[in-house]
Amino acid sequence: MTFKEFLKSKTFKCIIVLTTIALVCGGLLAILNDVLYISEEEKTQKAIKKIYGKDMEYTVVQIDEQDKTNKYGQIEAIYAFKDGNYLIQATGIDGYQSGTITAWVVAEFKDGKFNGLNSVSEASNEKQTLMSKFNKDFVNVYVNKDREGVINGKYFNLYDSDKEIGNISSGATKSTNAYNNAVNCALYYIREKLDGGK
Amino acid sequence: MNWSKYKNIATNGVLKNNPIFRLVLGTCPTLALTGSALNAFGMGLAVTFILTLSNTFISLLRKVIPDEVRIPAYVLIIATLVTIIRMLLEKYIPVLFESFGVYLPLIVVNCIILGRAEGFANKNPIFDSALDGFFTGIGCTLAMGLMGIVREFLGAGSFFGMQLMDFRIEFFTSAAGAFFVYGMFIAIFNAAYKAIENKINKKNFALHLEELSIKENN
Repeated sequence: MTFKEFLKSKTFKCIIVLTTIALVCGGLLAILNDVLYISEEEKTQKAIKKIYGKDMEYTVVQIDEQDKTNKYGQIEAIYAFKDGNYLIQATGIDGYQSGTITAWVVAEFKDGKFNGLNSVSEASNEKQTLMSKFNKDFVNVYVNKDREGVINGKYFNLYDSDKEIGNISSGATKSTNAYNNAVNCALYYIREKLDGGK
Repeated sequence: MNWSKYKNIATNGVLKNNPIFRLVLGTCPTLALTGSALNAFGMGLAVTFILTLSNTFISLLRKVIPDEVRIPAYVLIIATLVTIIRMLLEKYIPVLFESFGVYLPLIVVNCIILGRAEGFANKNPIFDSALDGFFTGIGCTLAMGLMGIVREFLGAGSFFGMQLMDFRIEFFTSAAGAFFVYGMFIAIFNAAYKAIENKINKKNFALHLEELSIKENN
């Protein structure tokens, strides 16, 4: 087949049509992506509204590079509210297929002292397929079960022990591990850096 | 204006060829998202929007797209529309966006949309195709919405999120409950459809006999 014949062939027409459609669709999506882009600030404000039910003023807490990671995972962001509470976005490791879960954790502070967790909710996840298992009853454990223990240094694990508070969603043990780690990661930072006005 | 043609397209989409209850298409999102009425209607409306636009664009390009590459071309168009819907929902209705989860991007391979593109839009003019997409989407929305209302009421004791009673049967919110309700609806819808069809056929037959007897008398 000569080049001229190829230009007149059906194959060439197919390539041109598909490429044109792909380019037009791609261009349209690029423009819309720019118009409908959700900034980090907007995402944070939405998360705050979801947790508190209203818009709240906040300041971003700067995290030192060496404090960003600990054995439970990584601190993504911290926001301080006027009422003294903190909103912490933390990622827990060791989930299903070595994936992660990122959670929003609200830490309550009274007179500069840590006074337990006010709320916990999922922000995002990687490779976790059973997130629907984590219902209200599951996240309420972080807030209500053994609040004194949480204030006095206990962390969360799958099962109850002297030093740990058990929280598990049966059938999604690996993902529970990541969820617990996300909350523990926030707790670790709170105890090391925020508690007692450090 | 050919009203009888448009009436036919409308009744085909909503009743005669209802994608959920008559053709049993789009089963995956139907079973997964009808646990609450709001999710079901939301998904139905998203499908209606995408179906109307995809039918319109595919009909518009039907003479340009070669037969050999029509399926990848349709998938490109549908995927673009689905991505636009995703962006809009994430920006303006994040609650619905989160509850749709994986089923929103899966609209790209929804058999209802590909089925209408292949079965109607690539053979018919733009306006007819848009109407077909719209009414098929409405049929889908109504079917999913009905299932959503029933499952939410029996399974959670609520109606569009408003708590009506404490009594609930958890079975209806489970996957097995979804299959049960789906099966019941298919049975009821098809029985009612057949009964109406028989009635119309009998009426037409009686009219035909009457016409014949008049002709014989003359």
